[in-house]
Formats: sequence, C-alpha cells, structure tokens
Amino acid sequence: MQKGTIYIFISALIFSVSCGDEFLNKTDPTVLVADEFYATEEDLEQAVNGVYGQLRGYFGSQWQFTEFITDNTTLHFNPGNRGQGPALEALEFWQYNAGTPNINSLYNSIYSIMVNVNTTLTRMPEANAPEEVKSRAEGEMRFIRGFLYFELVRYFGDAIIITEPVQTPAEAFEYERSPVESVYQQVFEDLNAAVEALPNSYPSSLVGKATRGAALTLLGKVHLTRHEYTEAINTLNQVTQLGYHLLSDYGAIFNPQNKNHQESIWEIQYQGDNLFGVHSSFIYTFAPRESFGAVIDFPGQEGGGWNTPTLDIINAYEEGDLRKEVSLREGYTSLDGDWVPVPYINKYHHPHSIRGVTNDNWPALRYADVLLMLAEAINEVEGPTGEAYMHLNEIRERAGLDPISGLSQDAFRTAVLAERRLELAFENHRWFDLKRTMTVPQLVNFLNDYGLRERAEPTTSREGIPFSNNDFIFSDHQVIFPIPQDQIRINPDIAQNPGY
Amino acid sequence: MLNVYTPKIPLLMGFFYLFSLTLGFAQEAGMIKGTVISAEDAEPLPGVSVLVKGTNRGTVTNIDGEFELEAASGETLTVSFIGFETTEIGVNPGQTVYEISMQASMGDLGEVVVMGYGSQRRADITSAVSVINMDNIGDVPTTNVSRLLQGQAAGVQVRQNSGRPGEEMEVTVRGLGSLGAGSQPLYVVDGFPIGTTLGQNLNPADIESITVLKDAASTAIYGARGSNGVILITTKNAQEGKVGLEFVVNHGMTNVPDGRRTRMMDGPEFARFKHESFVDRIRYFEQREPSLDEIPEEFRFPEQTQISTDWFQEIMNQNARFSNYNATLTAGTGDIRSLVSVGYVNQEGAVINTGFERFNVRANIDGKINDFLTMGWNIAASHSREDYAPTDGRGALIGRSLWADPRFPVYNEDGSFNTFIGGTHGVFGTANVVQELHEMERTLEINNVLTNGFLEFTFLKDFKFRSQVNATLNQAGRKEYRPSTLAGPGFNQPPPREATLMQNNNESLNIATDQLLSYSKFIGPHRIDGLLGYSAQQENTKILQGNGTEFPNDQTRYLSSAIQQTSNSSEFGWSLLAYFARANYSYNDKYLFSASWRREGSSRFGANNKWGNFPAFSAGWRISEEDFMPQANWITDLKVRASYGVTGNNAIGNYSALSNMRISNYVLGGDIANGQVLANFANANLGWEQSQQTDIGLDFAMFDNRLVFTAEYYNRLTQDMLLSVEMPVISGFTQSLDNVGLVRNRGVELALDYRTRINQLNLRSNLNVTINRNKVLEIRGDADAIWSGGFYSTYNVSVPGRPMSMFHGFRMMGIFNTEEEIDNWPTQDGAIPGTYKYYDANGDGEISYDIQDMVEIGNPHPAMLLGYTIGGDYKNFDFNFMFTGAFNYDVYRNIEATTLNMDGVFNILQEGVDRWRSPENPGNGWIATSNTWKWQRESNSRYVYDASHVWLRNVTLGYTIPQNPIIPSARLFFSAENLFLFTSFPGSNPEVNQRGGINIGVDDEAYPIPRTFTLGANIRF
Repeated sequence: MQKGTIYIFISALIFSVSCGDEFLNKTDPTVLVADEFYATEEDLEQAVNGVYGQLRGYFGSQWQFTEFITDNTTLHFNPGNRGQGPALEALEFWQYNAGTPNINSLYNSIYSIMVNVNTTLTRMPEANAPEEVKSRAEGEMRFIRGFLYFELVRYFGDAIIITEPVQTPAEAFEYERSPVESVYQQVFEDLNAAVEALPNSYPSSLVGKATRGAALTLLGKVHLTRHEYTEAINTLNQVTQLGYHLLSDYGAIFNPQNKNHQESIWEIQYQGDNLFGVHSSFIYTFAPRESFGAVIDFPGQEGGGWNTPTLDIINAYEEGDLRKEVSLREGYTSLDGDWVPVPYINKYHHPHSIRGVTNDNWPALRYADVLLMLAEAINEVEGPTGEAYMHLNEIRERAGLDPISGLSQDAFRTAVLAERRLELAFENHRWFDLKRTMTVPQLVNFLNDYGLRERAEPTTSREGIPFSNNDFIFSDHQVIFPIPQDQIRINPDIAQNPGY
Repeated sequence: MLNVYTPKIPLLMGFFYLFSLTLGFAQEAGMIKGTVISAEDAEPLPGVSVLVKGTNRGTVTNIDGEFELEAASGETLTVSFIGFETTEIGVNPGQTVYEISMQASMGDLGEVVVMGYGSQRRADITSAVSVINMDNIGDVPTTNVSRLLQGQAAGVQVRQNSGRPGEEMEVTVRGLGSLGAGSQPLYVVDGFPIGTTLGQNLNPADIESITVLKDAASTAIYGARGSNGVILITTKNAQEGKVGLEFVVNHGMTNVPDGRRTRMMDGPEFARFKHESFVDRIRYFEQREPSLDEIPEEFRFPEQTQISTDWFQEIMNQNARFSNYNATLTAGTGDIRSLVSVGYVNQEGAVINTGFERFNVRANIDGKINDFLTMGWNIAASHSREDYAPTDGRGALIGRSLWADPRFPVYNEDGSFNTFIGGTHGVFGTANVVQELHEMERTLEINNVLTNGFLEFTFLKDFKFRSQVNATLNQAGRKEYRPSTLAGPGFNQPPPREATLMQNNNESLNIATDQLLSYSKFIGPHRIDGLLGYSAQQENTKILQGNGTEFPNDQTRYLSSAIQQTSNSSEFGWSLLAYFARANYSYNDKYLFSASWRREGSSRFGANNKWGNFPAFSAGWRISEEDFMPQANWITDLKVRASYGVTGNNAIGNYSALSNMRISNYVLGGDIANGQVLANFANANLGWEQSQQTDIGLDFAMFDNRLVFTAEYYNRLTQDMLLSVEMPVISGFTQSLDNVGLVRNRGVELALDYRTRINQLNLRSNLNVTINRNKVLEIRGDADAIWSGGFYSTYNVSVPGRPMSMFHGFRMMGIFNTEEEIDNWPTQDGAIPGTYKYYDANGDGEISYDIQDMVEIGNPHPAMLLGYTIGGDYKNFDFNFMFTGAFNYDVYRNIEATTLNMDGVFNILQEGVDRWRSPENPGNGWIATSNTWKWQRESNSRYVYDASHVWLRNVTLGYTIPQNPIIPSARLFFSAENLFLFTSFPGSNPEVNQRGGINIGVDDEAYPIPRTFTLGANIRF
C-alpha cells in the first residue's frame, strides 16, 4: 500500500507538470490581443474607425494652438486658480517653452494616432478582406497620415517621419527629424494616394469618413501653405466640381440637427444625448467661469472660461454681419439678472439633454474655406480677378454684407484674411492663416501689437492682478513650437528648434 | 484498521482507573512545605511561584528557596519560574516535605516556529525570522490584524496612514524594494498565500501566532512573491487536553486629540486676511492707499464677521464608540481538537457618519484519524460593512473641512443645511462637508470565506505526504449615492445637481493547492529534514458596475430609477505553478545547513520568460555547543548564521507583457461605429524582478534565556525591476514596461528581549531597532531619474546614487523683503517682495519656472525605527506599554503648499496671520505675501518637516480577579491606544503616506488618527 501511495504521488506530480504551461497562459478576456487583431474585414474597419475615434480627442484641444494663441481669443482670467499658469496660460501669454505640458500633449497625441495609422497600413495586406475595402481603408489611413504630418510640419517644422510601427523600444531611438521639405513630400505622397483611393461620397451608413473632396481640399491647403498657388487653384477647382455649396443660413452650419450637410467637407463626428462616450463638450470649456447655469442650461453649471473671444475680434465684425451672433456672445445675463460682460464662443452651444454631453460636431474643412482659399490663391497669381471677387463675395453675401470691389492686390489679400478670420472664426484656422500670409517679422509685429492692445484693455477683468512682465511678448522663434523637453531628454540625439 | 486501536483500549481504561483512584484519595488538606532548587547546581531558587493546581492557593519561595502552603493529597503543585521548565508535582498522602528540583528551560530555543511550508525548532533556524510575541501586544482595540505587527519586530515597518475604521496598516519589511512593482510583503494565513494585502476581514482575536520571514533563505521558498518578506499568520486552535470557553468584551470610545488637529483661520481672521490682501495688492501694485469701498463689502469690516465655522470640528464625531465581542470555544481532548469562535466588532469613526462593523465566525478542527492519517480543516466566514467617505487629500473631506470658507454657517436659520460654502470673491465654492457626510450614502459590504484543509499521511516511518487545499471567496459590494441636494464634488458646483449612483460588485475566487512530501530522520548525530513540493494557485476576479444619473427623487436610490444608466463589467486573473525542494541538515545540533530551491511559472510574464528559479542557502554554527566554549552558565545559546538567496516580485499588472487593443469608437452615419486602437506597447521579453539577499545573524541567549539578543546585517539587491521605462513617443507610446534598474537595501536589525523577576514583579521587555539604508544604484542610464508627483504637489524623485523617492523642489532661502533684494538675486521672473527666495541650483543666474533648479529637499526614509515594549505583572495586576518611534526623516506637508501660497482661494492655516505684508511689516519672516501666488506654491523646501517621533501606541492595564467557584478565570483590562505622540512635526500624523508606492511621505491631510480608550473583560471557563 505504501508503494502505491508513492506511485500516486509521483504520477500526480508528472500530471501537474504536463498541464503546466496551459495553466499559465492568461490573456485579458475583456480586450482583444493586438497580435490577433487586423485579421478580418471587420477588424480592419474597426482599426480605421479607431483612428477616427482618436481624432475626436485631437480636435478637442486644437483650439489651444490655433485660436487661443492668436488675437482671436483669450481667457476669462481666474485670479484664484493659478494652476493653469505654466500650462494653458503659457500659450495665451506666449510664455510657452520646451517644458510646456500642452505642447507636449499635442506632440504626443499626433504620434499616438500615427502608430495606429501605421499599424493598420502595415497589417492590412494580411487581413482577410475584399480588395476594395482594403483600398478604401488605405486611402482613409493615408489621408489621416497626410493630415498628421501636415499638422506636425506646420506646428513643429522639421519632423520625425515614421511610416511603420517599431517592434522594440530600441528601434524608436534610431529615428531623427527630417527637414521640412521631406515632411511635405510625405504629405504629398499620402494625400495623393488618398485622392486616388477615396470615394466622392459614402452610403448613408458610412457618412463621416474622409472623402476624396476632403483629400483634395487638404491637398489644396498644403499647396496654398507652400505658396504653390497654381497647384492650389488646380486642386481646389476640382473640389468645386463635387457638388458642395454654401448653406444659406450661417447658423445651420454648426447645428447638430444638420450634421454633414452640403457645405461640410470633413467634419469630426461626435454624438451626444447618450452616455456612449463619443460626445463633445466644447461649450463646457468655452463658457464663462462662474456663469452658474446662465449660459449652459444646467443648474449651477459653470464653464472653463477658456477660448474667450477678444474685444479685438468682437470689434472686427462689420455692422449687420449675420455671423456675429452665431459665432459669439459678448456677455450673458446672470441668473440674478445682472449683465456680465464676459464674452464666449456660441458656435458650439446647442441644447442638450445630459450635463457635460454635447452633440456638436467639429467643422474641420468646409466649402467656405475652399472658396476663400481659391480667392486667396487667384489673387496671388492673377490679382483680384472677377473670379476671386466672386468667391469672396459669395461668402460676404451669405453673411448679409455688401459685396466688395475695386481693391488692389494687397488690399484684396488683406480683405480675404479679414474675411477668413470672421467666416472661419473659432474653427481652428487663425494661427495657420497668420503664419501662411505673413513673414516671421510681420507676424511678430502683428501679434505684439495685438498684445499691447490686450494688455491696455483686457477683454475680461483681471480683478486687480497685473500682467507679468513677460506676458504677451512674442519672439521670432515662437513661430515654430519647441520639440517637447521630454523627447529630447529621452533621446538627446533629437535636435531642438532654434531659440528654445 | 480498527485492530490498530484494540491493544490500546485496556491501556486507556487503565489510565481512567488510575485517575479515578487519585481522585478518590483527594480528601483532606494539610500544611506542606518544601524547597525549590536548581537542578544544575542544586542552589536554592527564591521567588519561585508554587500554586495548587486548579485553586487560588499559592505562594512564592523565600530567599532560601523555601515555601509553605496548604494542600491536600491528590492535589497537584504547579511550580513555575522564569528561565525554568514549569514542573508539576503530585501531593502524596502523608508526605509533608518536598524537595523540588527545576530544570533550566530550553525556553524559546525549544519552541517550534512556523516557517514556509513547515516548521522548525527555533534552535535550528539559520535564517532571519522574527516571531511576534503575542504577550507583548496588549489588549489593543483594533479591527485589523496588521495592527498586531506594529512595533513588534525589527525590520518591519508598520505605518498607520489614516485613522479610518477598519483600515489595514501599511507593512514594509526591510525597506522599499521596488521602483516599479509593489513593495508589500506576502501574507500567508494557515499556509495559504492570500496575497499582498490582509484585507479587513480577518479577526485579530483568532490569531495564534505571527512569524515574519525576512531574509531570502526563509522567503525563497515563496519564489516570485518572496522579495518583500513573508508574514505567516497562524490561527488558533484548542490546546491539547483542554476544553475551554473564553469571552472577551471590549468597549470604549474614540476622540481625535486637540493637539493633533490642524489649525485654520477662523471667520474674522479669514475676513481680515481677505481684507488685507485687497489692501496690500492696491498698495503694492498701484502704490496708493485704497479707499474702504474698494474692498468687497463682505470683507470691509472683518471684526464684524458674524459666523465662524470650524469645519474640521464640525465633522468630528465626539466620543465615537468602539465595541468588540469575541467568544471562543475550544475542545482539545481526544484525538481531534477543535475551535469555534464568533466575533463582532463595531467601530464608529472619528469622522461623523463613518464606521466599520464586522461579524466573524471561525471553525478550526484538526486531529488524528488513525496512526498514519491526520487531517485538519479551517473555515472562517465574515461579513463587514463600512460606512466610508473619501477623506484623504485636498479635494476630499478632510482637505475640504480645512480649506472651506469659515464665514459660512453649517445650517441656515431654518435649520436646513447651508448647501454651498464659499464661492465668492475668488474663494472656491464647495459642498457643505457636514451635509455631505449626512446625506451621501457610501457603503462597502464585504462577504468573505477563507478556508483551508489538509490531509497528512505518514508512511515508511520517516515520510509524510501532505495535501492541502486553500480557497478564499471574496465578494465586495459598493454603493455610492449622491443626492441632488448636494453641491457637486468639484470646485464651484452649487446645487442642485443631478443625483448620481454607483453600484459595484466585485467577486474574486483565489484557490491554491499544495502537495508536500517531507522526510525527517535522526541518524546518530545527524539530523536530516527534506521537503519536496508542488504548488498551484490561481485567482479570478469579476467586476460588475452600474452607474446612474438624474433621479426623479432622492428616495429610490437604485439604478432602475435612474434616467441615464451605464454599466460595465470586467474580469481578470492570474495563475502560478511552482515546484520546490528544501533540505535541512544538522550535525550534533552544532552545525546547521539549509538549502532550498523553487522553480515558478507565472501567467503575468512574457512568453519568453514565464519561468524563474529561486535558490537559497543558509548555514548556522551554534558556538555555545562547542567543547572549547567555557561552560559558563550565563551563556544559554550562541549561534552565528549566514544566508544567501534569490527571490522575486511579481506584483505587476496581470497582462503587462501583452499588447492589447482598446476601444476607440467613432460615429458614422449617425450611429456608433466600433473602433479599436492599440492600448500599450508589448514586451514579450518581460521577466522577473529579482532580489539577491545576503544576511548575517547572531543569536545570543544568556542567563537562562532571560536576556536574548539578536542582531542581523542584511544586504538586498533588487534588479531587473519591472518599471515603466520612457521611450520616444514616435513609437506611439511614451512608456513601456521593461526589466531595468538596481536598488539596494542594506541594514542592521537589533532585538533585545529581557525578562526578569523582582520579588513578585515579573517584568518582560522587548526592544527592537531597525536601521535600513536604501539606495538606487542604477535605473536605465546614468542620467536617468524617475520623477513622480507634480510641480505644485511635491516631487518624489529616484536617481542613481541616492535613496528612492527623495523629495525634490526649490530650496527656499528666505523671503525677498525689497525690490533691491530681488535685483541682487538670480532672476526669478515675476518675483515681488514677499515671495520666496529660491536657490539657483544650476548657477545660470536664473531660477527657471520648471524643474531645472530643483534639488533634493528631503528624505522620506527614517534613519532608524524603534519598537519598545515593557510589560509584566505584579500579583493580580498586569501592564503593558508599547512605544514605536521613527527618527530622522521628512514629510512634505501639502496643506501648506495649498494654503500658504496665499492665493486666498482657500481658508489658510492659522499661522498665516503672521505673513509678510510689507518691508516694514514682514511677519515672522517665514510666510509669503498675499500679493501673488507665483514662487510660493511650487514644490519647495519650505514645506518639508522633520517627522521624527515617538508614539506611545498602547497602554494596557489588567487585573485578574482571584479565582472563585463561578468564574475560574477572569481578567479586567483597560487599554489606551495611540495615547501620546511626541514630535515636533506640525501635521496631524507623522506616519502619513496616503499616496503610497514610490510617492512616499506626502501629507495631503488624511483621516485623523484618534485616541481610543477601552475597558474590557476576558472571562475563561
């Protein structure tokens, strides 16, 4: 009997050894494993959707770098909470440097989308999916990659070009920044591929994806940015053939009841009135602090007090401009009945049923932008021709303004920029428009002049707290953002931009 | 098999026969006398206790070792004395004079100590092991077993982070070992490794013994969970041959002492502060004298401020009750011994409407089935309910009770709650903390079953095979309801809000099985013990959570009433497999050797590194047994020992080695479109964090074990730590988990036990001293550093060459008094008179508003820890005093960074009245101006304090009621917990460590540590 016991014991041991490794293989049952993903048509569609999903977050913070930093918006100064000083406020007051956390986030968010674009493109050939799906998905991914590199090169100048995912951390140390010209070559390659692959439109169930029109519009913008005006005109003129037109009512452009309309070329999609987590909440950032339910219609709800329209832009509207009331409000009536002169952006302010959950989409590219780009490009090539006036006045007409005529090339250039400012106000164009249309010294002077005005007469009360000496002093080098300190600390081979 | 028993039956009957015979003779009592001598040298022993067993008749021997007392024949004398084996002598008919000779006891040396997967005679142990002396703990009013470890063992740091009822204390063995994974020890209850937390459901009254395994030789048998020490807890069972019933009742009350409260400005003081800050700002920035109407009306006449609310005081629960009941029935007669215990504890919190309540039942049974088969089964079940509140941190209740505007009342004139506090003129608005504690429903209910059983089979004389199965089932249900009447949880969110509800159900099942084959043999002077084992364990947790918002009313607080509902569920788990072996060999009880080896596989590691090896060796030499040692009778035992071993740490996430997808949905065609993106960077090479530990120890017992001294030196090197390592973001991620770094913990531990008897006073004392030095030797590269925390909320920084997690910040050199001083100082952009003057660490002439000029400003690691217990008894009285101490370490006081930055959005520490106001009125030279916030709020040395302290943790005084026919044994006791704190630290708790992990030593204001007084009784039948 005793021998038998030993035998049982030993065989139990052997049995347990043999079942060992399976016992130790555990994967997270709540998520998918990356190694096994990208295998089917459905996986591929979801990978593409995932990238669009990341854009929701990206567009949630773009106002900081494109509007807030310019003469369009400022902040509802918060004398109490100074915690945002070195972060958000550094952008407003041009105190940003390589350590500014928001610039770090901007840089990181671009590459965290890029890795999913690159992984999807790299894994796509092995996926079991029809060729037309693969082709369209490739077009979408290359559109977004072209967009991301265009963002990178405009914000940061020279950029690291990466088109395949790295397999080990060590590989990531091997990349260096490529010159601006090479980055633009990447942008052209990607956008041209996208123009080839993308459809002009989608069946209703897929509306929201990038179209050929979006790729052409973006490509036109790239040419315009590079002052390649003839190419810009040729590209943008293809967009005018695609059936887009201006809506007659400016307010309808931003109305969530009217998403993906005929003027919309590329719209970032959000959905409110449910808790599925794909909503927007722009007005919660933009509404005045301490408005306590007087702006956002929920008891006690205050806003962030960010991206506040400046007196400068408020005063820029002509008498009778229908866009002003849609785009902004100069203040609000508190629940106690007092007028509070704190302006706020009104474009993304619509009724919604759940606190913090709005239904507003973000207009990334729309037809009015195409018309104004065309006007700008034509003027640069041929001067203010009838065609250029036609495009500009189409915009003005909708705004309820008189057409303009008889301008010099210079004056027309100024008029287009002024029109862009108001037509596309608070839609994240201003910073790039200023950079595109001005030389660095011009831009420095322009911003510092604005800074002096804002210092002399702040848009909102500072409650007795003076400006810091370094507030609103814009220097040449700040035209290009710094490469975040963290990236250079991690990999000292990465070069910093001059001046930082 | 029954025939095995048959020969014994007559024997047993014979025993009963003899027994009844003895009883029969027990009749008349008479005076007997005698002498007690030492068996070794025949010298008389004074002070020996002689007691007639089962009665209260007893005496003590005189200076010549003589005694005299009344005893009847048939009765038994129990003769006991410290350092000697207790002896029993029968009183024979007719014999009136006795000479009793006492053997020096083996004392602790003969004691059997619970070790990993077995036990060992203390004399044979060759590794670093601390056994908690349960006598030294006192009758502590505690709900958590972790409290029993406090101050009792060298090398074991037990921090009480907060006074939350039911709170588990934070235990660290031999310093912080890991930069990335956890540093908590492994808890093993009755042989069952339950994990790195004890939870809240084990009943302290059920604990028989606690052993702390400290060095690698003792912990390597636990492999990948052994790096941070192992704490073995054994629950009680009946004593052999005894049947008993014990009741313990303990009642008391709890208060937060005045001296441990943080003082804030009162209403008029705060109004004056706001008034003056308006005046000072106009004076400084506009260089003029302000008129009175430039000051907001509410601050214009601060002395007329009507209301002054001390919010902290308002949320204190005065005389909170503590009650604890335990009943234990034990039966140790026969082959099977058993224990059944029932416990109930109810602890009201020191903060109103918080508290902890628990019911425990336990049944332990073990014994012989036959000569070669023994079995045992323990089962413990508990139910606990906690009314909790998020108390810790600036945004939580304690923080808010400190910074809430004191000029607002708790109640409106009609008696209803004032629902929104502050929110005017830049002062942050917050919910009323009293109302929140009354109206918010926050409960955590835990049902726990912990069970383990074994079957042990003895065969071939020297072999044993033991098969053990362990399981714990834990179900925790959490509910939080925030009614619409409350202001929002953030700043400036006045009511009404949408009501919110969260309900969470968390179920986990942890199962382990061990198969152990052991061999034990004496061959002449050789003693051999061997162990072969196999262990498998897995844990699986399922979580179901529902959230609701917008309720039609505040009465129906269930998800079904919510207009908006979301739900989610998840599941996770891990598994491990291990094979292990151990051999102990001793020669002549003089030369001792031990070696162990474990091979362990874990589901948590990468495909290429699933398995790890953990060997250990140790040796000891009992010098006192050597012939060359003079047979000096004061040396009882002298042993030197050394050990080396490798252990691991698998306290990382469950699926860290894999790259997973995460959901990133979009909207297409107006509908949700499912989307997935990469969630993390994969590292298939992820492997084991390893610690190599060397330990040298000395055990020295003297004067018949009256004085026992233990000294240890250890050196633990932890390498290949599982750490998030930064990588270029072009990879798509900013970090990935990798095996990097090297951390050393080395130190000295001293423990001194002394027991003596002075006349009728028995005294025992224990002193333990821990000196640990922690140093990061390597992270990834030379220039690498791990920064955690924040610019405004304390940086803990680990850099090679320094201890882990040192405080970093600006070095505050004083306060700028004039513009001239600012001009003569390196540039501090935006500095004005009254702001802090910081040190230009990099010497570039500018103090930049980032981390470049930040330097080390404090060390959160105590240079020395101390535990001291003195206890004893005198006649029927007994006492126990326990002290803990920690010396020469720093705590960062975040409430100062929050309020002494003087921005006036919060109420301010009372000392803020002495702030800088002008060059002529610079205050106490230590508190900044209210004219700005910059250069006042950043992580800096101004807010770092030495937190050295000594705490009189517990005083227990007891009185044993003389035996009487109704109650054979009864003892009354008084216990005072957290009685006195001696420290210069200005905060409420020098042990505070809410952030935990590598963010140690930051005081964010936590649930205060109350003082508890209890009265209790312990009755035995």
